[in-house]
Amino acid sequence: MAIDWFAIAPEIALTVTALLVLLADLNLRGDAKQLVNPLAAFGTVVAIVFTVLLWGEERTTFGTSFVVNEYAVVFKLLFLGSLLAILGISWRFFAEGRYFQGEYYFLLLTAFIGMLIMPSARDLLLLFVALETVSIPAFVMAGLRKRSLYSSEAALKFFLIGVLSVALMLFGISMVYGFTGTTDLAGIAAAISAAGDPEPLLLASVMLVIVGFGFKISAVPFHFWAPDTYAGAPLPVAAMLAVASKAAGFAGLIAIAFIAFEPLAEVWAPVLGVLAILTMTLGNLVALQQRDLIRLLAYSSVAQAGYMLIPFGLARSGADGAVVNEAAVQAVLFYLVAYAVMNIGAFGVAIAVNRRTGLRSIADYAGLSARSPLLAMALTVFLLSLGGAPPTVGLWAKFAIVQAALTDVTPFGVVLMVFLVFNSVIAFFYYLKVVKTMWMDEARELDVQLQPGFNLSTVVAVLMIGTVVLGVLPGLISGATSLTSLVAAG
Amino acid sequence: MTGHDAVFLLVALFTGGAALLTVTSKNLFHAALFLAATLAGIAGVFLVLRADFLALVQLVVYVGAVAVLFLFGLMVTRAPIGREALDGQNRGLALAVSGTLFVVLSGLIIQSFGGVRAAEVTGPGIREIGIAIFAHWVLPFELLSMLLLAALIGAILLARRESGESGEESVERRIDFGDEPSTEAGAQALPAADTAGELPAGEPVAGGER
Amino acid sequence: MSFEQEYGTVAIFLIVGAALYAVIMLVNRVMRPSVPSPLKLTTYECGVEAVGSGWSQMNIRYYVFAFLFVIFDVEAIFLFPWAVIIGELDATTTPSSLFALIAMFLFIATLLEGLAYAWKKGVLTWD
Repeated sequence: MAIDWFAIAPEIALTVTALLVLLADLNLRGDAKQLVNPLAAFGTVVAIVFTVLLWGEERTTFGTSFVVNEYAVVFKLLFLGSLLAILGISWRFFAEGRYFQGEYYFLLLTAFIGMLIMPSARDLLLLFVALETVSIPAFVMAGLRKRSLYSSEAALKFFLIGVLSVALMLFGISMVYGFTGTTDLAGIAAAISAAGDPEPLLLASVMLVIVGFGFKISAVPFHFWAPDTYAGAPLPVAAMLAVASKAAGFAGLIAIAFIAFEPLAEVWAPVLGVLAILTMTLGNLVALQQRDLIRLLAYSSVAQAGYMLIPFGLARSGADGAVVNEAAVQAVLFYLVAYAVMNIGAFGVAIAVNRRTGLRSIADYAGLSARSPLLAMALTVFLLSLGGAPPTVGLWAKFAIVQAALTDVTPFGVVLMVFLVFNSVIAFFYYLKVVKTMWMDEARELDVQLQPGFNLSTVVAVLMIGTVVLGVLPGLISGATSLTSLVAAG
Repeated sequence: MTGHDAVFLLVALFTGGAALLTVTSKNLFHAALFLAATLAGIAGVFLVLRADFLALVQLVVYVGAVAVLFLFGLMVTRAPIGREALDGQNRGLALAVSGTLFVVLSGLIIQSFGGVRAAEVTGPGIREIGIAIFAHWVLPFELLSMLLLAALIGAILLARRESGESGEESVERRIDFGDEPSTEAGAQALPAADTAGELPAGEPVAGGER
Repeated sequence: MSFEQEYGTVAIFLIVGAALYAVIMLVNRVMRPSVPSPLKLTTYECGVEAVGSGWSQMNIRYYVFAFLFVIFDVEAIFLFPWAVIIGELDATTTPSSLFALIAMFLFIATLLEGLAYAWKKGVLTWD
């Protein structure tokens, strides 16, 4: 089998970086351990360079199981950009919190290796192993605050629900293999469409596979781990879970739904549409009652996953569905990029406030505008963008979803749009509540000054500027995503 | 009913019985031992299907390593072992859900695959598996090495005993509702343990950072 | 011998072994005198009165060793098919011998770094 080594160059770069980080951790002592952060960042930059060089041509390697095209490159750039941002916001947090640092950065890099492989995987087994490579370091990272009982409990919840969903998914995968005789995604689609009427067991196994990914993207009713885990994990890990892990789940779900099970779109599209409605609504309604900013961001992430599920509800099988499916995938991709920028920024500000003071409830953000106007402005921009207000990129993200629905108007699509608008309005209630607290309430007495580190400030500033710039020039993203074609390339 | 079917019936009864005893046993330690028996029974199922390598893997990895890990985990965490200790409140609901799932799935499986005879099943031998791994599945194979390494690092990290590392505060109180102390009341709400960012001077770090 | 014959032999071996144990224990139970008294039912501790519960805190080091065993056990499982085929490969077969060799060496090297990590972090020493 001829292997195209350049196609997996980004993954190789990250793997080498991860192993070097582990070696460095063994040899560094004391405060020097922080240096693994810039080492990891350097490796990430090298991987980004390789990824950018892969733009333009489509490469297939390892049989047909690993495909690198524009779609995969955009996803990989999303992941690597998130990794760089998370490295920036976690440096001081982990150095001063007296955590195990070298191991954290190693686990983070390993999770991202899995994430890089997921949008390129065209084989169920590779997809599954990549998904596990994303999940298992995440389980450990969520429990990194070993000295807090609450944190350990949260990590345990995450782990138990995670392995249960993965077990169900594996059962579904094995049944799908039993029906189609292959694990290649395109081969599965061919076998399913050649078989005529799908048997009930095949449909059941499709649902089981969706369950596995539903856990990863924290869709309702698989979302119960999200608020506790985000609240219990160290905050940069929560940012990683909210953005990168969710994006990886979506990458897998797109591959499964739009490639492997595409002939069955009439079966799973309504299910995913209903799931989208439930997720959006429940996420927003429960977020209204939250008084802790991290839990509010957690439920808001759940709701955002609901928005991103809407394009899945629009899918159709066969040749007449090709246009809708393309538009749907591009809408999800656009939303994911925009969401990454907004959400990591929001968590970054939360880290800046929490790192020295340990404070995290909304009441603690009162008067932030007086104490630290830049942080307050940044959080305002991020929250408004999450809600979808102009002139931020969040507006265009929601618009992309509406655009995908408009390519082929169906009654169910109209219902989904109504729920999207309705939920955006609800979401504004709690986003604006936080904004109001920051700008209009009296500041409380604080003995410790907020001192966000240089890296964190840079990351937050870049993301804030990015949110606004992309809101004015959304073509920067959509120019890239509109070039992606997942379905045609197979 | 051929001999093949009779053997499978015996293995299935053994496995199913051990599985039932695992979830209904009141002693956690006995439950772990019954789990080991269930896993061994599954190895027997693999043998009935003529997958000898898989049966070997099942015995070596699951019964030999994972079940032992379960038992060690029970002993290390001083899991409550005794008649009253296990929480049985959700038993009815659990039975309903798992029973429904079992009935539905097995019904569907029999409907779809009921015609396949086990005696006709021939799986790949160890040689074919070896060739397949290195001819087609090299990428998942190498990715698995990173996954195993991550699991190793993670487990050692969670099991290490050095104090003074990994996490700021030390919350030593009973968990009532599993909630962290809310900081709505300001910094006073936080536990009085070391939450400040700077390293407390002179705190002994047991074992030293290696 | 066919597959059924080989593993049938193993199965008979296991059943006879288990049955032997069961029969011996059963005969023992039937034949021994059983006159329990409170004193006889206490735990024997070399003539000294037993104090406290029978359970003591287990050392976490056993757990770490068990975990290391799981990981390297999985590695050994992957070594089995490799060991079977590596002798039959040469430069012309689909996985060439060099390719299979290097692939497995990379796998082992990664886990070797894990072992080095465990070694340096002191989990392999007893105290």
